[in-house]
Amino acid sequence: MRVDVRALGACNRLAKRGAERAADALAELTGTDLAVEVTGASVASGEDLATAFAGRESIGVRVGLDGGLEGEAVLAFDAAQADGLLSVLPGGTSIGHSAVTEVGNIALGGFLDGWANYLGEAIDMTPPRYFEADGAAVLPDGALAGDGVFLFESRLDATTTDLDFSIYMLPESGQFRDLVVGRAPAAAGTGGAASTPGRADDAGASGTTAIPYESLSTFASLAKRGSTNAADNIAMMTGLETTVDVSRLRFVPLADVPSEVGPEPHAGTVFELQGQPSGYLAILFSEASAAAVAESMLPTEPAEPLGDMAENALCELGNVMTSGFIDSWANVLGTSIAHSPPEFVHDIGSATVSPLVASLSRRQDYGFVIDAAIRTAEIQARCDVYALPDERELAAALEQLSET
Amino acid sequence: MSHPTSSGDRQSTDGPGRPRRVKVGVGDLAVVSDDATLTTSGLGSCVAIAVGDPTAGVRGLLHAMLPSAENTASSSVPAKYVDTGVDALLAEVEAAGASPRRLEARLAGGAEMLDLTAAVGPRNVEQAEQSLAAATVSIVASDVGDGVGRTVRFRSGGDLVVRAADGFERTI
Repeated sequence: MRVDVRALGACNRLAKRGAERAADALAELTGTDLAVEVTGASVASGEDLATAFAGRESIGVRVGLDGGLEGEAVLAFDAAQADGLLSVLPGGTSIGHSAVTEVGNIALGGFLDGWANYLGEAIDMTPPRYFEADGAAVLPDGALAGDGVFLFESRLDATTTDLDFSIYMLPESGQFRDLVVGRAPAAAGTGGAASTPGRADDAGASGTTAIPYESLSTFASLAKRGSTNAADNIAMMTGLETTVDVSRLRFVPLADVPSEVGPEPHAGTVFELQGQPSGYLAILFSEASAAAVAESMLPTEPAEPLGDMAENALCELGNVMTSGFIDSWANVLGTSIAHSPPEFVHDIGSATVSPLVASLSRRQDYGFVIDAAIRTAEIQARCDVYALPDERELAAALEQLSET
Repeated sequence: MSHPTSSGDRQSTDGPGRPRRVKVGVGDLAVVSDDATLTTSGLGSCVAIAVGDPTAGVRGLLHAMLPSAENTASSSVPAKYVDTGVDALLAEVEAAGASPRRLEARLAGGAEMLDLTAAVGPRNVEQAEQSLAAATVSIVASDVGDGVGRTVRFRSGGDLVVRAADGFERTI
């Protein structure tokens, strides 16, 4: 069984459009403009999701889905923002649960409309249920039990106030498989679903990219192993204890990646990957984290926190992290992957990754992105690793993996 | 793509006297005809093209990633490319009531951020200049090139506020 990447892209567009409708509904209700920042489908095990959501407290509303799509959808926000949300709703802080439930009902209704149109079949929602949840308990039923293929996530951020929402949807596996495997995405609309003339040598005769369904979770665990190797190499070079906080494989519109990195200044290194698959890898630290990690590698405190000495140290660190990351891929995929020398970057995070995204965008609108957050214990430092493989080459490598 | 329309379709209550903000994502464009501030961030090699008709009060902002839709394999939306994005942007501002003859353009971005992908930024700027010239829209100001990331705000008066990574801000 194969996942048609175009069909998955069409589903992603539906999720994004659904999230935009939900954002409009929330904007009407709250009088606050909201922008859909990121929409993606993650491929993660229940264990990974539990780690990623640890420590969060969420409030939200969940609905069960029946009909055209079965599963569960959730609208959630950070528990710390509860008062902020209530204060912008008609009726103010006195109205409590019922207002939140109503907000969830309207937003999720908006989210699901687009899917129902695409499927040509109504999606029935069960009555909304208010919840308060710790950690990954916020996620739809079943997300923590299985292999997690595919959990749709959208993040909606208020443009002027501190109010963010997340929408999660976990379609039932069997039904969703039929959607991404068995159906052409032409009806999805925006023009983006038009036939993509892929390169004949790697895209197959039909001009589309297909990935063996079963190899996706293998790849997700491979990505995790890469992150762990990279973290181990940091520990080796710096003597600092490291942990991988989050490691996810997600299918996202490439144009969303810069937003995800965010507008804050970052320092780190970027690499070009050559081989099967080719692509890019960026290792980005906040300025404070970059300076702290560099200092831990240097014999004396540098004159400038992010001057030449720190740059050299971060480049060296980037080199060993990247080697650790891609070696595990190459081993499992049975391919050879090399990387360019490190290029030091120190700028707005989103601006740093936008040229990488632009370069990949020549051939694809969506991509599998691996992102990992690695934290060190003794000094408060954290870095984010973004791996952006070429989709067709990745598909070809996974194809070979499934045949062996 | 999010395309907020000219009527100010969303009531803003972000504070009295404070214009609403419309965020333009990467490979996206938006057109407004009220006092909203159009913003886009994360401009590295990408280019932001801001066009406005001061008389009609119609403004639009495009955040394009690549110079040209020609010879590209991805399916894509027009706003991803400078050439098709400029066409779409001009069509939308004109549909919102702008006169093609009164349009003025401002450019920002197109930096040479990385050696790995150095050529993209300057080519984006070059294509923006060509596409606007072909549409006889004059560029009144630009802040492009160098190796620095930028964030822009396109304000109701037609000013483009460009902020660089080091916090330096200039209005063009």
